[in-house]
Amino acid sequence: MLTIKNLEKRFGSLKALDDVSVEVEDDCIVGLIGPNGSGKTTLFNVVSGFYEKDGGEIFFKGARIDGLPPNKIAKKGLCRTFQVSKAPEKMTVLENMLLAAEHQIGEDPFSALFMRSRVQKSEKTNLERALELLDMLQLSQLKNDYAGDLSGGQKKLLSLGRVFMLKPDMILLDEPTAGVNPTLRVQLMEAIRQLQKMERKAFFIIEHSMKVISSICDKVYVLNFGQKIAEGTPEEIQQNEQVLEAYLSGA
Amino acid sequence: MPIINFIIYLLTMIGIYSLLAMSLNFQVGFTGLINFGQVAFFCIGAYTSSLLVVNAGVPVVVAFLAAMALSGIFGYIMSIPTKSLKSDYWAIATLASGEIVRLVALNEAWLTAGPFGVMGIPQILKDLIPKDAYPVFYLLFVIACIIMVYIFLSMLTNSPFGRNLKAIRDEEELCLSLGKDTQQLKLQAMIVAGTVGGLAGSLFAFYIQFISPENFKPIETFLMWAMIIVGGRGNFKGAIIGAVVIQLFNVSTRFLGNYVPLGSDSMAALRMMIIGVLIILFLLYRPEGLIKEKKKIYD
Amino acid sequence: MDIAQILINTLVRAAELSLLAIGLTMVFDILKFANFAHTDYAVLGALFAYVFNRILGLNLFLAIILAAFVTGWVGILIDQAIFKRLRKIGAKPVTLMITSMGTAIALRNLMRLIWTSHTKTYAIPLQKPFEILGARITPLQIGIIVVGLLSMISFHLLLHRTTFGKALRAISDNSDLANACAIDSEKMIKRMWFLASAYGVIGGSMIAMEHLLYPRLGFDVIIPVFCATILGGIGNPYGAMLGALTLAFAENLILALDLAPLINLGGLFDVGSIQISTGYKPAISFMILIIVLLFKPTGILRKK
Repeated sequence: MLTIKNLEKRFGSLKALDDVSVEVEDDCIVGLIGPNGSGKTTLFNVVSGFYEKDGGEIFFKGARIDGLPPNKIAKKGLCRTFQVSKAPEKMTVLENMLLAAEHQIGEDPFSALFMRSRVQKSEKTNLERALELLDMLQLSQLKNDYAGDLSGGQKKLLSLGRVFMLKPDMILLDEPTAGVNPTLRVQLMEAIRQLQKMERKAFFIIEHSMKVISSICDKVYVLNFGQKIAEGTPEEIQQNEQVLEAYLSGA
Repeated sequence: MPIINFIIYLLTMIGIYSLLAMSLNFQVGFTGLINFGQVAFFCIGAYTSSLLVVNAGVPVVVAFLAAMALSGIFGYIMSIPTKSLKSDYWAIATLASGEIVRLVALNEAWLTAGPFGVMGIPQILKDLIPKDAYPVFYLLFVIACIIMVYIFLSMLTNSPFGRNLKAIRDEEELCLSLGKDTQQLKLQAMIVAGTVGGLAGSLFAFYIQFISPENFKPIETFLMWAMIIVGGRGNFKGAIIGAVVIQLFNVSTRFLGNYVPLGSDSMAALRMMIIGVLIILFLLYRPEGLIKEKKKIYD
Repeated sequence: MDIAQILINTLVRAAELSLLAIGLTMVFDILKFANFAHTDYAVLGALFAYVFNRILGLNLFLAIILAAFVTGWVGILIDQAIFKRLRKIGAKPVTLMITSMGTAIALRNLMRLIWTSHTKTYAIPLQKPFEILGARITPLQIGIIVVGLLSMISFHLLLHRTTFGKALRAISDNSDLANACAIDSEKMIKRMWFLASAYGVIGGSMIAMEHLLYPRLGFDVIIPVFCATILGGIGNPYGAMLGALTLAFAENLILALDLAPLINLGGLFDVGSIQISTGYKPAISFMILIIVLLFKPTGILRKK
């Protein structure tokens, strides 16, 4: 579904991404690991359109998406979360979920004013889905709290919920379990696994925890200093000498 | 009775400014667009409607609509740079645009009669309303506009559109990652805000019946800012309250001038200084303003 | 108007603007917000200089130096009372900018209250212009250019020959690194405000000397100063100087231009002389600012 060919990204003279090629098939959960500063988030930023690339090509569902702005890429079905969860301070959890809803009527002044009944209907449908998802993520009791007041872990869950409201075909998750307590972590992973089974999505996940990677990922890519140094199943990666060296020396 | 007339005048001016405050609030409090050139909408609205009626004999209703449309278009123009400019740079650019609009009004005398301004703006429906009742009629007209605009803007902010705007204000990158075309949303917000500002300008011109570039100096924008800072951003009741507070303050100090041994220039200076201090104090100690933003609760 | 006159007017205006721009760019870069009250500090200083000069009878030069010194402290004071508190509660740069707007209004009107809106002049002898290459220049204008140059050189020396200057450049390049090297940021910030305000006073006084001094002068000059700052790139004082020069040149050139040849299209039409009315002079810097912001908000010089 997602094909990245020879991607390059420079910051001044620093090569953040150097000839990186990645393949994420439909219906798979693929992991991305590497020491700090190896370019993982940069890769996500380029693929999702927040950074401009300096070389290479990116294909999603067969069509090229490099060069497109982030919102267009999201609309095509490729969505992402952020390493530091973004939580609009003055919007409630439910508002956040509804914000992300896939088909909304009333997102522009004209329909907001003149198609009130259709707006209400679409809001109701989206509200049901939002409540369902919040239930699954065990955030229901916080539904009317300000997103800014949530704990770090809860914000991560909310990010996940938001992204699922979009019904994307593929989700880039940037460290979904970082800073999350172990119980919540298990919850998160269950949610990811469930959703992947239910809705047949592809996931590309940046993670630091090998436990998470080995338990849910089908394939793993390893980056170091902007270059891909290994790819394979979690077992293969864990045996790979280069990978071990990178983590021992780099981190 | 002069006191009654004065109160009606005060309320009418408060009314006109509350429209401007609501428009500014829509930009700043809901969308996070820091507009230091708000007075431009006021100016374009006032001049367009009055010039069309005085010079071209256009019916008042059409003139009002044209003024609102033109202000809306200017809102669109102002929104274009938001694509490439960060908020503080854009704010500076809006300050500059506000002044450019005023300078055009001042210099293009062939169109606007320059420093002499537009005179003899007729009273709307003059023949239908008895002379004594006219001020009350106009006040009611302004109040009707306020109610309409309040409802109109509230419908917008309570809709998915409004939700998108709030999200842009708080976390624009998140919006992009959720597929929202933030540029278009800002554009739409600015057009709406411009339209409301244009209405206020038209109401103003047809109330005081004479306008000149002097009415549209940058200080007006700052008064509107004081209104939303004091009244409370993120809600329209706050904008109206802010307009009441600031205008009351403004006008009452004009009267105090009769009892305090300060010249009129000094009174004006003291007044504006206090407004500046109010802005600072509120931002330091009560940034949400007098009326806080309400939380949206779902059942 | 001939090119020599344009150049002379440019140099004078550039000298005035650059001293204001370098302070603004420093604050914008290090504290990350646009201080809308910056030019009002300068006018406050110019008014202090007026008091020292006219009322206390001090020599004009000394009056300005003393005023710059006093206003430097005012700059620190305002920061301690207002901006520092906002920084402490983690206010966004935009909030700081809006607050600086409130500060500008309060300061400007305080000046108006104390000194009234009437224009003031310094005790300067009547100026008799010289003729150089067909253009006219007064001794005052020569003085302004010279003082401007000397001030810029002193600023350069400060940046490169003092520990303070080096620390300032370090913070400007990378604030994380600077923190790691234990540069006392509070002290640095105070000194930065002092400098920014003091240099601004010199620039403001020069403008007041050449034109008029009145409390609203700060607002009339804020946009050209922003323009010069942004043209040169935030954080780059040399860029600010170059920006001031470019803007001053553009202002004078555009006003002197006769657009008729353009409109006449070489004989197609016959329009008399068309010049942009001087009423638009303030608008020139506004337009240039908008154009720069649209096409190159990082300025024409890259940040060093």
